[in-house]
Amino acid sequence: MTIGAGSAAAQSTAPRILIVDDDPGLVGLLAEQLVGDGFEVQSARDGDEALLRLRDGWPDLLIVDLMMPGMDGLTLAREVKARADLPIIVLSAIDAGDSKADLLEEFAEDYVSKPYHYPELRARIHRVLRRLAERVPRQSLPLGPALSLELHQRRAIVDGMPVQLTPTESRLLYALAANLGRTVTTESLLARGWADTDEADPSYVWVTMRRLRQKIEADPNRPVHLLTMRGIGYRLVREPEPMV
Amino acid sequence: MTGQPRLRTRQAAESVAQALTGHEQIDELDEAEFTIIPARPLDEPGRYGRTISFPSRLTMLIVIIALLPLLIFGGVLIAGRVIDADGGLRVLLVAAAVTFVLALIGGHAASTSLTAPLRGIAAAVERVGAGDPSSPILVPGADAFARLAASHDRLAGDIERRDRELGEVLSSVETASPRDGVERFAERAARGAAVSFGLIDARIILGPPDETPLAERTLGQPTTVRAEVRAGTERLGVVIGRLPAMRRWERADQALLDLFAREIGVALRNAQLFAQVEAQYVQLRRLGEAKDDFLRGVTHNLQTPLTTIRAQANQLAQANQLAGADQRGQPFGEADRRLAIIAEQADRLTRMVQQMLLVSRLESGPLRPRSDVLALGQRVRRAWEAFGVRDRQMRLTDGSSGWLAIGDADHLDQVLWALLDNAVKYGAGPITVEIGVDEARGHLRLKMSDHGPGISEEDGARLFRRFVRGPAGRMSDGSGLGLYVSRELMRGMGGDLVLEAPAVGRGAAFSLELPAEHATEA
Repeated sequence: MTIGAGSAAAQSTAPRILIVDDDPGLVGLLAEQLVGDGFEVQSARDGDEALLRLRDGWPDLLIVDLMMPGMDGLTLAREVKARADLPIIVLSAIDAGDSKADLLEEFAEDYVSKPYHYPELRARIHRVLRRLAERVPRQSLPLGPALSLELHQRRAIVDGMPVQLTPTESRLLYALAANLGRTVTTESLLARGWADTDEADPSYVWVTMRRLRQKIEADPNRPVHLLTMRGIGYRLVREPEPMV
Repeated sequence: MTGQPRLRTRQAAESVAQALTGHEQIDELDEAEFTIIPARPLDEPGRYGRTISFPSRLTMLIVIIALLPLLIFGGVLIAGRVIDADGGLRVLLVAAAVTFVLALIGGHAASTSLTAPLRGIAAAVERVGAGDPSSPILVPGADAFARLAASHDRLAGDIERRDRELGEVLSSVETASPRDGVERFAERAARGAAVSFGLIDARIILGPPDETPLAERTLGQPTTVRAEVRAGTERLGVVIGRLPAMRRWERADQALLDLFAREIGVALRNAQLFAQVEAQYVQLRRLGEAKDDFLRGVTHNLQTPLTTIRAQANQLAQANQLAGADQRGQPFGEADRRLAIIAEQADRLTRMVQQMLLVSRLESGPLRPRSDVLALGQRVRRAWEAFGVRDRQMRLTDGSSGWLAIGDADHLDQVLWALLDNAVKYGAGPITVEIGVDEARGHLRLKMSDHGPGISEEDGARLFRRFVRGPAGRMSDGSGLGLYVSRELMRGMGGDLVLEAPAVGRGAAFSLELPAEHATEA
């Protein structure tokens, strides 16, 4: 099922989304809502059908339910990620306390719980698509002798010990890592870290940065990696090589 | 094994006594001297009561044997008047005195040389008693003393061997881990027994020992030895080993095997219990996983239609707003109101499902809340809006500017919903929410109160338990889980939720606190 975007002009540039869910009522409605917002939408009823659709062409984003007959969402996400680095948003009824939530975060860019709030979901789709333009290695990103980031696993390795990052923290680090050595404004960090619906303000960024420093810096009061450009924003830097 | 040295000494005493009494040539030796205190040196006769010691008796015997023929011979000569009675008597007395002295010296020398090997044996027995069975006694020849020495050496060798066996038994018991499982443990223990006791092979048969038949003895064939494996009074099985035909098997060996079987029994019981616990744990984990799967399925099946209901209602309301009015020119006011109710009720049901899910999560392990940055006041306002109660008022006083709470947004929403729900159901009048900062502790504090009848201290005490719904007699449609879950959620985030003491001028009041941080640029 392909539901085209409203106008012919939008068709060439409209982001394509593949919805994978076994509930036709939900798929129909969500597709309608997304098309109304200018997306091009395809749908698949289960994992196998989704993989078939991927042969015809890559969408820009996948929205996947976790509980489906046959191949479940987690397996599908793994299969997809093994083929290409497609962004995946999981839309499911499990919550963060579920034992599967951790596994999920390894493969999914974001997670929206059912019943979803459409404006929230839309905001997250935009946020994930914005991230697409940036390329950060999915492997380890070494920043110094005692720090490397493994953002695809939402963690930092500090002094050889893994430190778990919250989704917000890893989103901010992702934006900073994509601009390594350059300053990222507080406003764009805010847009990256929080959805429009969160009513967040710059203080959210400040507090999150302070908490991030406590996790990844040896001395949070004298940071060497996560630097403040007062009044402008933040900058992530590699530790300078020691003078020989 | 504190009983062991005593066992060994008793064995030594018994064996020495047995060896000594078994040899008729030295039956003058008092059995009591060996059985009572076998390690005591022999040249302390005074210690053994009034009996005259062996060297003295031997010396006396030799003196008597030397003097008696002389005196008889002299007496006969004098009586037969062969010699002169007067001179003869004098000669006889001198000869008797010389003989007495010579016999005394000779007797003493003889008795000393006779008892020397005995002293050596006694010293060796003493060494065995002190725990050194390794030095043999050297008595040349093939007489009774040499045999005694040899039998002592054999005894000492046996003791040494049993010591070694005991050591091996203990170490094989010690190295056995209950994690290995009952079967493997029994196998290892049997192998340990075979090595320790020098058996051809050994096995441990689990089950009632009486069901294992006794093997018949055949000369020249390996003998079967056995011992019951017990733990306390419980008979677990039997250890059966085959003994090489040439090997002696004595009471002490059997005692040691019994001891081994007892130790193995206790360890085996532990292994059985461990295996039981392990199996139960595995089963529990499987049940837990099955429960998780089940809950995931239930949640999915409930939330998916709810999602559709809610989204369709919203979509319809939106379409109505765009249309502005129906064909007859009537505003959609009434329809919108109904659609809003549908959406609210769907949300309500959703939260109930989430709450049930949380309760089961709380049972199976600690929650793993995220630590997001949150504006508490904003969160309260949004929760109230989502609540959709039109006929009540919520008054928010936010004194937390410059501070942001750290917690899990979803969890906090659950708590706020439960508290607001509580205030709406059981309270009356406007709901007052005050947010303040506890700067010293770095916490935000939120107090929510209503103007209802309040909650008595008696009811307050049971309020945070599961399935308790407000004051008795005021049944409502809640699940009775709200406050229990809320408190657990708050504690999971490093905060807390308490019921404030009743006060005049307000109804029930709940206080919650959450860790917080300065909202300053850093």
